[in-house]
Amino acid sequence: MEDFLQNYGFLLVTLVQQSLLAMSMYFPLTAGQLSLASPGFYSLGGYIAAVMATADYFAPWRDALGWMMFPLEWLIAALASALLALLVGIPALRLRGIYLALATIAFVEILRVLCLNLEITGGAIGIFGVPQLFESRWGYIWTFGPLLVITLIFSSRLERSRVGRAFKAIREDELAAGAMGVNPTYYKVLAFVIGAVLAGIVGSMSAPFLNTWNARQGTFDASISYLAYVLIGGGRSLWGPMLGAVLLASLPELLRPLKDARLIINGVVLVIASIYLPQGIVGALRRLKLVTLDRFAVLWGGQ
Amino acid sequence: MSVLLEAHGLSRSFGGLMAVNAVSFAVEEGEVFGLIGPNGAGKTTLFNLMTGLTPVSGGSFCFRGMPLTGLPPHRIAGLGIGRTFQNIRLFRGLSALENVKISRHSRTVTGLLGGIFGSKRSRQEEKGVEEKAWEILRLVGLADRGMELAANFSYGEQRRLEIARALALDPAVLLLDEPAAGMNAAEKHNLTAFIREVRELYKLTVVLIEHHVPLVMGLCDRIAVLNFGELIAVGSPEEVQKNPAVIEAYLGAE
Repeated sequence: MEDFLQNYGFLLVTLVQQSLLAMSMYFPLTAGQLSLASPGFYSLGGYIAAVMATADYFAPWRDALGWMMFPLEWLIAALASALLALLVGIPALRLRGIYLALATIAFVEILRVLCLNLEITGGAIGIFGVPQLFESRWGYIWTFGPLLVITLIFSSRLERSRVGRAFKAIREDELAAGAMGVNPTYYKVLAFVIGAVLAGIVGSMSAPFLNTWNARQGTFDASISYLAYVLIGGGRSLWGPMLGAVLLASLPELLRPLKDARLIINGVVLVIASIYLPQGIVGALRRLKLVTLDRFAVLWGGQ
Repeated sequence: MSVLLEAHGLSRSFGGLMAVNAVSFAVEEGEVFGLIGPNGAGKTTLFNLMTGLTPVSGGSFCFRGMPLTGLPPHRIAGLGIGRTFQNIRLFRGLSALENVKISRHSRTVTGLLGGIFGSKRSRQEEKGVEEKAWEILRLVGLADRGMELAANFSYGEQRRLEIARALALDPAVLLLDEPAAGMNAAEKHNLTAFIREVRELYKLTVVLIEHHVPLVMGLCDRIAVLNFGELIAVGSPEEVQKNPAVIEAYLGAE
């Protein structure tokens, strides 16, 4: 077991971390908004944690708070992400579909270039030697794991609440939702902020996990990876993003013996899945179950 | 009877086209008010102006004396103006029950955290929403199919579900945009009785756009006729039928 965790602990924690980032894309999607902004907030959260953990200014804080500094970093990252999401979301969410996607890509790029050039973020080199919360990489399962459980419970409860219904109504038909008393702007921004806060917290937990933080953490490539998780897994179910993240993030590891050819296989899987699984894997499974249930119903009814 | 809805010189232009041109009328509380006119006369645009979906170019529209022009659609819906759509706009990927539940939004208050933590108040509210939604589904005769997706319903059933969804707003006014479109003769006949029943039960004022003449004549207390965005006649069904301007609009001048 020790050996296994030594070898695969990092991968397992990474899978949980990637699942969380997929979930952060999923929340805006439940309200029908295709936002690719998650890596931006992830990057922001990571920088906040890295700066608070390394900058001289925060040294007395660290001495006074001890390990309590870490939860404080998460909290500040969450608040900063929420604030930035409000600032970005209120104008950006006037755009629809692919235009919103483009605007959020622009947001991620602006933030990346900004981080490359600021002094506080360490410029192109980034921030090194972020203090560790646990002795081993595997230990981080105790931060990411509970966060994933909380996120899944949050998401499933949200789905069955008044706010979740408003999200779904906007996803189905924004104009009709408005005519039925739902304020589309408010709930679109709310869904965007929920996703941003999650990405920000994951970022602030990831800085110590990765030991270093730099501008390459929040790139357009990452936007596309997270989007692929949600599309492959299925964007209509809270299990979809997690399933997609686990599959796609482990695929390069599983195919490692193939060396460089693995990237080709990775691409082929993406293309095939998007053609044959338009509702993602969870959508396909559901359809399969529906088909078998229908057959049983026919047998039962003797028709 | 008092005036419930009042339009004053309501106008809307699309480019150079006056889709609705200085239309004024008043709808009294409790009446069934018909809106008829040839295709492209501006009936649906008028509904969209009344519900805030299309901004007005000029004039005003009041509900119980309160001006609604400039308010967003969700506020107008919350004040008690429910509507259906000519080209049905149900939440197709959701169940019939959820479609109806969504319209309880403006009558409930549970926020994000209340819903997540399941506070006592939110649970009570949710129970109320559930009961109300089933009650309305029973009324429109769709209770046995409440858990089915709206997309799986037949055309006539989708129209009824749209009415159910509008009723869940607890509206004072129901705006029906061609409720009988695509229905067969028997369904149309049932619809007349159904609209009467609903109006009695919920003390509603109904404004309806309809092409099917027997339905309009049999159901409406008063009728307004639009042609090329202008109001050319208002009155009882008999008066409107005899009005020379209306005959000209429908049949052309001799």
